[in-house]
Amino acid sequence: MQDALHQLTYFSRNRLAGLEEALHDGIRDILSVARRNNATVGVTGALIFNSLCFAQILEGSREAVEHIFERIAQDDRHEDVTLLTFSPAAERLFGNWSMAYVGLSARDTERFGGFAGESGFDPRRMSADALGQAIYQLVYDRDGPA
Amino acid sequence: MSINYPELANAFSVAAWQREPAQSIKDNPVAVLAEIPAGVLIVDAEGIVRFSNASASTMFALMPAADIGIRSLLHLSGVSNAVELNRAIDARAPSDAIRVGLPDGRILDARIRPLHADAVVITLVDVTTYVREAALAANDPLTGLPNRAGLIAHLTNALGSAKTTGAEVAVLYLDLDRFKLVNDTLGHHIGDLLLIKVADRLRNATRRTDMVARLGGDEFAIVQENESQPRSAEQMARRLVELIGRTYVISGHQLNIGASIGIALAPAHGHDRDTVLRHADLALYRAKADGRSRFRFFQSSMDAEMQVRRRLEEELRRALPLREFHLVYQPQYRLDPHRLIGFEVLLRWSHPRRGAVATSEFIPVAEEIGLIIPIGEWVLHTACREATNWDPSIGVAVNVSAAQFRNGKLVDTVRAVLRQSGLEPSRLELEITETALLDNTEIVLAQLRGLKQLGVRVAMDDFGTGYSSLSYLRKFPFDKIKIDQSFVQGVEESPDCGAIVRAVVALGQSLGIDTIAEGIETDEQLSRIKAEGCRTVQGFLTGRPMSPEAAIELQRAVAPEQT
Repeated sequence: MQDALHQLTYFSRNRLAGLEEALHDGIRDILSVARRNNATVGVTGALIFNSLCFAQILEGSREAVEHIFERIAQDDRHEDVTLLTFSPAAERLFGNWSMAYVGLSARDTERFGGFAGESGFDPRRMSADALGQAIYQLVYDRDGPA
Repeated sequence: MSINYPELANAFSVAAWQREPAQSIKDNPVAVLAEIPAGVLIVDAEGIVRFSNASASTMFALMPAADIGIRSLLHLSGVSNAVELNRAIDARAPSDAIRVGLPDGRILDARIRPLHADAVVITLVDVTTYVREAALAANDPLTGLPNRAGLIAHLTNALGSAKTTGAEVAVLYLDLDRFKLVNDTLGHHIGDLLLIKVADRLRNATRRTDMVARLGGDEFAIVQENESQPRSAEQMARRLVELIGRTYVISGHQLNIGASIGIALAPAHGHDRDTVLRHADLALYRAKADGRSRFRFFQSSMDAEMQVRRRLEEELRRALPLREFHLVYQPQYRLDPHRLIGFEVLLRWSHPRRGAVATSEFIPVAEEIGLIIPIGEWVLHTACREATNWDPSIGVAVNVSAAQFRNGKLVDTVRAVLRQSGLEPSRLELEITETALLDNTEIVLAQLRGLKQLGVRVAMDDFGTGYSSLSYLRKFPFDKIKIDQSFVQGVEESPDCGAIVRAVVALGQSLGIDTIAEGIETDEQLSRIKAEGCRTVQGFLTGRPMSPEAAIELQRAVAPEQT
């Protein structure tokens, strides 16, 4: 059971403050650390981010996913970390990426349709499935991870 | 006079020792040095080790190689904290114990004593066991954090040095909210894993100079030194309440707990250790009383309030044996035609000095100290026995608190009370508030079903004041809904209250559940309630709580009309 594939989806409020430049540096930090750490423990997933929110899917062994989630829970850059789903999964959605990244560029914002606009991406208004699908779409519609 | 090192070495030759032991000891008392369990090194003015005994040989890598520099020896042997030891040797002065470590984990206390001609003798005592045991005694094995003993020792030091430097010290007492629920429902193993994660979050959220300790159970403490207060403690508390409240995932379970924190500062809130700890505890108590998942600083008024509360608690503990409780009975009526259908039992406490104590004052205290269990039992016994004196058509409604549900013996108690009193089970109605339901749905529901099987009726009290009334109506077949008096008393001013009453009545009708409006005080309220469709009422207007004798009298008075 512990080794079985689990999938965890959460969103949180982004506490990275500052100009776009600083935000990008912040997110780059998060990604590079996530990619390095996740790869060694066999966790894959995707991160979506804008100036308001993070939403992330983590998939891997239960223990590894729990471990990574705990690190996120302790991370000051996140606020109001809300767990949407945590359950066994049949297969990986993001098997190729230790952490695919979808920044909300102008192009992505357009793609994100109703979910992003003036008020920003608000995953609270989405079901976990819809969120997962949205992230999945965004990742696979691109040529590859950022 | 200089030290003759070769001669010194000869004095320790084993052959000489065996040949004439008694003589050797007498002539060379220094020879004993060779055999004592402490390590001994003699270092000359140039810093060269000129002598080492057998114990020292077991400590360092290159012994007994002659004439090596002490610095090289310490370095090559991988001794930790060698810098301090070297400095003390260079000082050529008596030193306190200098703690150094060996690569194999042994811990030594080194002491320097100067000899003549700028030589020094270094004694090395192995304190490994002592240090390990002390660490073990001061640490919590589960989380690895210092325990209460560790906290006491640390705080004593901190307050001592703060006194000389004038620095401020903050003590934060932290208690987990809803931890017991995790332990009870998922088991101690998950509870332990959760405590480990909490400890980890505390460690990571605090500075290296802060001390985090686990005092036992779900209690932790943090000592802050050399920070500017109260700002720093407040920041920390705010951060911890938020951080500990974040979701945990453990062994596939998603867990949510909270943290309540009490803060006391030295010297602002106390100078000595025990006062500071007691005041942090009082502040924690206040944080919990104010609704948990928050922090409170100590205030001097808390001391006085706690004294008052403690006295109330003591007197409350005596109230049952001293027979200071009694019950009153408030009639419940069906309307059109007007008909007495039962009484709600209300607890009263008449204290010889205080007089009548309000239930809102003593019931929360009784719940908190667990006294509500025996009091609740007494109420059930007394009310059921009393009801057997009544007309068999008249019911008796008794309030049951959340603590009685948590206790898990409610079904057994009710069964015993029914058997002993001989009361027909269908005449007993138990009123349970939503707050009691909130606590732990599955356990509570199992008990509610058990009560139903006994044949007693179950009413939901204070309907509409909790969070999830409707979902509970679906989960359990209640016999009655008591519409909270805030809606009843609001019908005169607020159309919304009328609408709510009407909706609840309609809800009851469609679910086949009786509804009763409580707290009716005026004719206006009564007619409005009636207009909204409510058919059962209770309140000061229709009948005040009365003595058991008056309750019987009332039944006699209405009997001719009702039969």
